Amino acid sequence: MSIGTPITRIEAPSKVNGQAVYTADVQLPGMVHAVMVGSTIAAGRLRAIDTRAAESAPGVLAVLTHRNVPRWHGTPDDLHYVEPRFPLADTEIHYHDQCVAVVVATTREQAAYAAGLVAVEYEARPVVASLDAALPTAHEPVWRFEPLFPSVVEVGGPKEAFAGSAAKVDAEYRTPYHSHAPIEPNATVAQWERGRLNIHKTSQDVHGDRRIIAGALGVPADHVRVWSTLVGGAFGNKTTVWPHTLLAAVASRQVGPPVRLVTTRKQVFTGHGHQPPIIQHLRVGADADGTLRAIIHETTNGTPILFDDPEPTISPSASMYAVPALGAYVRVADMHMPAPALLRTPGDGPGMFAVGSAMDELSYALNLDPLELRRRNHLAHHPLKRKPWSGKQLLDCYALGAERFGWDRRAPRPRAMRDGDDWVGFGMSSAQRLEPHTAATATVAILDDGTAEVRTSIAEIGTGNLTTLVQIAADGTGVPVRRFGIVSGDTDLPEAAPTHGSRSTGSTGTAVHLAAQNARLAATRLAVADPRSPLHGLPTDRVGAADGRLFAVDAPERGESYQDLLRRNHVKAVTEEGHHDPNAKNQQFAFATFGAHFTEVRINRNVPRVRVTRHVAVFAIGRVLNPKTARNQAQGGIVFAAGQTLSEQLTQDPATGLFVTPAFTDYHVPVHADVGEIDVSFVEEPDYNAHPHGAKGLGEVVCVGVHAAIANAVYHATGIRVRELPITPDKLARLVRESG
Amino acid sequence: MSEGTNRRTVLAGGLTVGAGLAVGSTLARTATAGTTPAPNTRRSVSLVVNGTRRRLEVDPRTSLLDALRDQVGLTGAKKGCDQGACGACTVLLNGRRVLSCLTLAVMHDGDEVTTVEGLASGDRRHPMQQAFMDLDGFQCGFCTSGQIVSAVGLLAEKPDLRRAEIPELMSGNLCRCAAYCNIRDAIATAAGLGEDG
Ligand code: FES
Ligand code: FES
Repeated sequence: MSIGTPITRIEAPSKVNGQAVYTADVQLPGMVHAVMVGSTIAAGRLRAIDTRAAESAPGVLAVLTHRNVPRWHGTPDDLHYVEPRFPLADTEIHYHDQCVAVVVATTREQAAYAAGLVAVEYEARPVVASLDAALPTAHEPVWRFEPLFPSVVEVGGPKEAFAGSAAKVDAEYRTPYHSHAPIEPNATVAQWERGRLNIHKTSQDVHGDRRIIAGALGVPADHVRVWSTLVGGAFGNKTTVWPHTLLAAVASRQVGPPVRLVTTRKQVFTGHGHQPPIIQHLRVGADADGTLRAIIHETTNGTPILFDDPEPTISPSASMYAVPALGAYVRVADMHMPAPALLRTPGDGPGMFAVGSAMDELSYALNLDPLELRRRNHLAHHPLKRKPWSGKQLLDCYALGAERFGWDRRAPRPRAMRDGDDWVGFGMSSAQRLEPHTAATATVAILDDGTAEVRTSIAEIGTGNLTTLVQIAADGTGVPVRRFGIVSGDTDLPEAAPTHGSRSTGSTGTAVHLAAQNARLAATRLAVADPRSPLHGLPTDRVGAADGRLFAVDAPERGESYQDLLRRNHVKAVTEEGHHDPNAKNQQFAFATFGAHFTEVRINRNVPRVRVTRHVAVFAIGRVLNPKTARNQAQGGIVFAAGQTLSEQLTQDPATGLFVTPAFTDYHVPVHADVGEIDVSFVEEPDYNAHPHGAKGLGEVVCVGVHAAIANAVYHATGIRVRELPITPDKLARLVRESG
Repeated sequence: MSEGTNRRTVLAGGLTVGAGLAVGSTLARTATAGTTPAPNTRRSVSLVVNGTRRRLEVDPRTSLLDALRDQVGLTGAKKGCDQGACGACTVLLNGRRVLSCLTLAVMHDGDEVTTVEGLASGDRRHPMQQAFMDLDGFQCGFCTSGQIVSAVGLLAEKPDLRRAEIPELMSGNLCRCAAYCNIRDAIATAAGLGEDG
């Protein structure tokens, strides 16, 4: 069995010796370079654009603007994400740094230089660049495609129930623009060959991207091939097909040779997705013993002028607790912003900040331990679907986490724990994330040279999915991991689930599991039908597989290797497909992943900077495929969410709409020195109702609840409730001063 | 490409990964409309890269990072920001760690550069590379070349390094995947430091 063992990532050697290939490392013969020019206003229109100087600069091959960009074809009717207005389509400006021109030149130096020569005249219009300013336009979202979630949920008369509750919390929580900020900038290399388009891009979903690219360019999908080499982090921002990809493709068609367009760090911040600012108004009512009576969760997020992109922030209140009365309302308000993108963890991340904070506030109002309040409201079934949760070991997560953390050392009152000049605080929160099911296909081949291979289009974005998929296939076929290869990241391969929303393990993993089972069964059939095989005549279910060999379950020494079997029968490879059909999922249960976070903060009372010194987390994610990569991903997710809580904020100037922090120098992601001790464990219990291999997603649930746990610890340390992220030293210093 | 080709054969055959095509990138877009374009000249510069002398013809605007990646063909050092803010481009310049995006190739005639590709001795990984592998000191791997080179440089700067100093002294190397816990364990292991070392 390789599942459950801490094997090293299969691509690890290439990642430590510099040989790993990412999109910007791809060089094609004769390749030229493109650079995008962005608007310096956030709202208005282009009055004039003068490209003559740029066009005559050394090395310049073309300058694309709205005047000469080829006509785009319609937006594909696809749930995947693309801005509805194609780049350079007209003269309207809807956000800062919107692409107004693309310069193509022989070298990148030449393209970048000439980009600075493009002279643009604008007609500026008033901007809406803060959520407060946008609130008058708040409205129920209009979906471009089929709604992904209801924007209104109302059961049991929430207003009356809240009014009649013995204990109440009524508070507003705010989160700012947050960026994905992967270290690898988004990039595309485009090449046309006799009417066919080859695209290398930073992608979380090559097949989804292909549909959009083909639709936009008006070419048949089978004329487009998309590769995603290794991806240098994504967190959702490589889910969308951004303008730069489409522009690289049209630029290459225009000039002939392949075109590489690597975005600048600034462009990654300004035009490659973000989570928009969100205001959540929560009202939570409970009985004196803590039993929840009512939740009213109203959430409004900023959305681009051109389309509605609601954030499913109500998810926790609509799925966590048994609330007899619930009102959940999602609204959006128009701002001059670029398109948002799914950001780890959509909806539940910011939603649980609010719900997890409000639960904490309620616990103090009731004079109840916050953990005890959650225990009292624990729910074994999904409150709206009325189906039992499968694999909800949340109470075990609470118990194990509390013990590992030492929760019993928590002083009940805030500002009661000191260590020298430090205020010390403990905080906790629950975590929950619905487990998605998406169609996915993979093949597994057992080869006559003793090796085996998985083929599926999945992109490796750092989650370790190539390794865990190979582990699943290895255990399914009985061919050891070290003899397995995986071919991935290419639209010529069977379509995997996108690598967002924690779909790799569940959906693509199931496809690989089924493919492996099918391949093993096909080989077994070959053996039992072959008079020369020692297994001849056995029923297939009496044949086992391990160490690259098929054997009789009742007499393990009786058997033969796959290699011998295939060679003797002149079969080069036994290749079988596996398909995960989301409609065939178990309808008896509701599915999610769960967890509990416990955090310790220390805050110097003179310089109130929050340090997360200790964090304990326990997750229930079914079976853990690889404890080494799982623990790493969990620690990383906790740090990711801690950054959103304490330091990250993309700031838009409310007067001009310009982004003023689009750089790592100003958008502060966590660094080595910010990271304390992070203790991660898992309540391991396979969830075979969810998926046949018993494992579920991990990448997103690990972030959910971290924001609230930290904010709750800050309250416990200081007695100050911060309801607006990030909890920066200046903000906290002001609140400390005001609190006296 | 035929149905049967896989990504590995494509990368090996259809593409030249890291071949010496003359490209590069400017440090910043400082040009403004109306200024005289920089002369389209190239300068000759000689670098010793991972022990091998390389003579390059570079655009004077080319950063050391772009020269290494696009002309020498060593794409291990990455461009995460091109602004000196992420550390993904860290290389050793005459033994000291520098951000190769922040310095121009033409400034380094005769200098010795070590990139992540030059750390191994033959087939044997550098102990720092091995420790990163064993302890899973990365996820996506994009920051990893920089982390490893930076860690090797750090140990050279500070042979008496203590475990508690690692976080502060490595803070110029961002890891957005936040494999920080494992990175510092890997560095401590490669440095032979115990739990309380
Ligand atoms: S690329 Fe040089 S520091 Fe980021
Ligand atoms: S491993 Fe992805 S940024 Fe460090």
